[in-house]
Amino acid sequence: MWEVLKGLGLRRRWLAYKAAGNPMAPLYATPRPSPWTPLEDVEFVALDLETTGLSPGKHEIVSIGWIVIRNMNLVYAERGHWLVCPEQDVTGESAVIHTLTDDQLAEAPPLCDALENLFPVLAGRVLIAHHVKVERSFLKRACKTCFELPFQVPAVDTLELEKRTLLRRGDHIKPGALRLDAVRARYNLPRYKSHNALMDAIAAGELFLAQAAERAGRKGKLKLRDVSR
Amino acid sequence: MDIELIEIRDFLTQHHPFDLLPDEAWDRVLSTIESSYSRRGQVVLEAGEPCEYLYIVRTGAVETRSPEDDQVLARLSAGECFGVHALLNPERKAVNRATALEDSLFYMLPADEFEALRRAYKQFAYFFAPLGAERLRDAHTHANVSGDRDQLGFITSKIEDLLQREPVVIDMGTSVRDVAQKMRENNVSSLLVCDDKELGGIVTERDLRDRVVADALSFDAPVEKIMTPNPITLNANALAFDALVTMSQNNIRHLPIVRDNGDLAGVITNSSLVQHQSTSAVYMVGDIHKRDTFEGIAEVVDRLPQLLCTLIEAGANAYTTGHIVTSIADAATTRLLKLAEQKFGPPPVPYVWGASGSQARHEQTSTGDQDNCMIIDDSYDPDQHGEYFKAVANFVNDGLHACGYIHCPGDVMARTDEWRQPVSVWKDYFSKWIDEPEPKALMLSSIFFDLRGVWGDMSLLEPLREIIAEKAPLNRLFIVHMVGNALTHTPPLGFFRNFVMIRGGEHDDTFDMKLSGVVPVVDIARIVALESRISASNTFERLSTQIDSKVLSSSGRRDLLDAYEFISITRLEHQVKQIRRGDAPDNYLKPEELSNFERSHLRDAFSVIKTIQSAMANSYSIG
Repeated sequence: MWEVLKGLGLRRRWLAYKAAGNPMAPLYATPRPSPWTPLEDVEFVALDLETTGLSPGKHEIVSIGWIVIRNMNLVYAERGHWLVCPEQDVTGESAVIHTLTDDQLAEAPPLCDALENLFPVLAGRVLIAHHVKVERSFLKRACKTCFELPFQVPAVDTLELEKRTLLRRGDHIKPGALRLDAVRARYNLPRYKSHNALMDAIAAGELFLAQAAERAGRKGKLKLRDVSR
Repeated sequence: MDIELIEIRDFLTQHHPFDLLPDEAWDRVLSTIESSYSRRGQVVLEAGEPCEYLYIVRTGAVETRSPEDDQVLARLSAGECFGVHALLNPERKAVNRATALEDSLFYMLPADEFEALRRAYKQFAYFFAPLGAERLRDAHTHANVSGDRDQLGFITSKIEDLLQREPVVIDMGTSVRDVAQKMRENNVSSLLVCDDKELGGIVTERDLRDRVVADALSFDAPVEKIMTPNPITLNANALAFDALVTMSQNNIRHLPIVRDNGDLAGVITNSSLVQHQSTSAVYMVGDIHKRDTFEGIAEVVDRLPQLLCTLIEAGANAYTTGHIVTSIADAATTRLLKLAEQKFGPPPVPYVWGASGSQARHEQTSTGDQDNCMIIDDSYDPDQHGEYFKAVANFVNDGLHACGYIHCPGDVMARTDEWRQPVSVWKDYFSKWIDEPEPKALMLSSIFFDLRGVWGDMSLLEPLREIIAEKAPLNRLFIVHMVGNALTHTPPLGFFRNFVMIRGGEHDDTFDMKLSGVVPVVDIARIVALESRISASNTFERLSTQIDSKVLSSSGRRDLLDAYEFISITRLEHQVKQIRRGDAPDNYLKPEELSNFERSHLRDAFSVIKTIQSAMANSYSIG
């Protein structure tokens, strides 16, 4: 265990060295919170990407929504909803999935510019998303394409947290039971009608607060490691 | 504002007072709020701990309790705020403990932003004013503006505002010829006849026709021969409605108006009023006076619910509505007494028919129990006159019952021997009630200390008023007991979803607007009146009289008036809705009938009453 952590630390330092001058530098230069940090002292970023599909190879990011969590409060002053101009023509599919119009997207900056703005937001913070794999895979590919560096950010997956809670209780997980809205309903969180990237990021952030409160109810004061495994 | 957050803004604007924030405020609100989550049972705010935010419940529910005795103060659901007390005191420390009753999500408005919003938007600030009285005043203006005042504008205007000219006056001894000439010169149909500035009579065109021309009286005859001496007058502060009723009841067309200081203010004529007025109340009064049977009168009184609807829907306030609705009971009573006098002959000795309870206070909202009594001149001889008054009392009590003013279950009616007595006996009653305030005496005090003459010799009430004015303010034990009595009915704490929260964490399904809203204020106003020798019996009039009261400061009285108006009008609107649905009107309000606006204002009204009740309890060491 210790070896693994040490290994990661070394890798991160090597990446920081390699990234000097690269827009991704802040991501590696800023120290990460230790797993033993009390949750109140960790800063999180709840994030959601809207994409044209689920496969990073074929599909594109069209918007990025994010909000900071500090002292276990969602902080609306630090939030973003950025549109991204896709490289391919996405008429048709995007109009169905998203509320964004082609005109809006056409005026938006390209993905690489949007990512440059995202790195200072993520630096030193822990990423939160519902089913973080998707966000991670898209961002990983984008970073490789734009900056030729890997995307390495600690993350908490609210879907994973929920799955573990249900399995620990011995519940049988029904299909659809882990979808964001279904999970939120179990915590008495409101059902949002709009599904833009920012509201979905907020929805994931609120769910994380609820899950953490539930765990704290069982375990007492939480540290970062209590929610990241 | 980011359009993406429209859903959060929409949620907040559904709730008072956030609906009062203008568009330009929302950018800032949505860029400063934070959000947190608490599990059921978790303490959100601990009394004495710093509180840096105004909390708004998004989902779930919260309970606040006082740290001293752990009493439940409020339960809050979606859209309601807590932490307000903490943010209003400079130390910003939580005053009460707030615990999540359910898993809850909160929006949190930072203290500085909260203050900035309150500074920038006055209406928003009103909502959080400590006692809430400001808000209630605001709610009134709201309601008054929205109502259609045109219909009511006239009959609810003060006579003072309707007088068109100075009174035209002549002296006693003026000849009939000069009277006619003066009428022509001034183009008026009546003259006031004065005896050294005192009003001695009124002379009208009709007197010239009936008593001069028809009787071939000399034109040199003095005006005294044809005038009506000592005419009925009305105070300039009365409503146009009162003038109409007075003229209708007495079958007169000219009514001299006097000011508080006794000066003549002018004359109101029937035609000048009738050409304006458009509401049915006056016609109902007139109609009642044309009826000769119980059934006939009852037929008119049956239209009372319709009248109530007309008044409330036209935007009448509770004071005016009470006044007008009560005038129907007064008309029925008066008419029945006149019929009784036709049937049993004129009274052998003078008497006055007294109304007590809500009729005395001009606060009826519908027909209900009747409370009345007879006060008879001391020349009364039971053997000789007893049967007469008993017969009249029975006749009127039964007549009122037939009209829907049902027999009082406690027998507080003139037909009960005890409540049909000469002045001297009544004086003994009142003295005893004040000197020996045992429970039954207190109950009777609260009924009979609201006393108003409806018909007969009003001067018979004077000795009783004197006794009250003389004895009540000085008898501390009596006042203390009356205060104790006034504290037995308390308003609820507030509302939680579809429940009414009451003391001790209990809840009811409905709010009894009469017993838990109206009665506590009426009781307090009565004590203020007793203590300060205010002769008015109406709660609004009692509380708005300019006096120095030990019981209640003038700002306290003003707040209480606003609370009373809001509760009363909510009750009346509730009854109008029931009448419109075809249901019988009652006093039980279900929380689900209330808008957020009404809920929060009712809660303010409750807190005004509670604050005043506990101040009274303290100063009289009760509780």
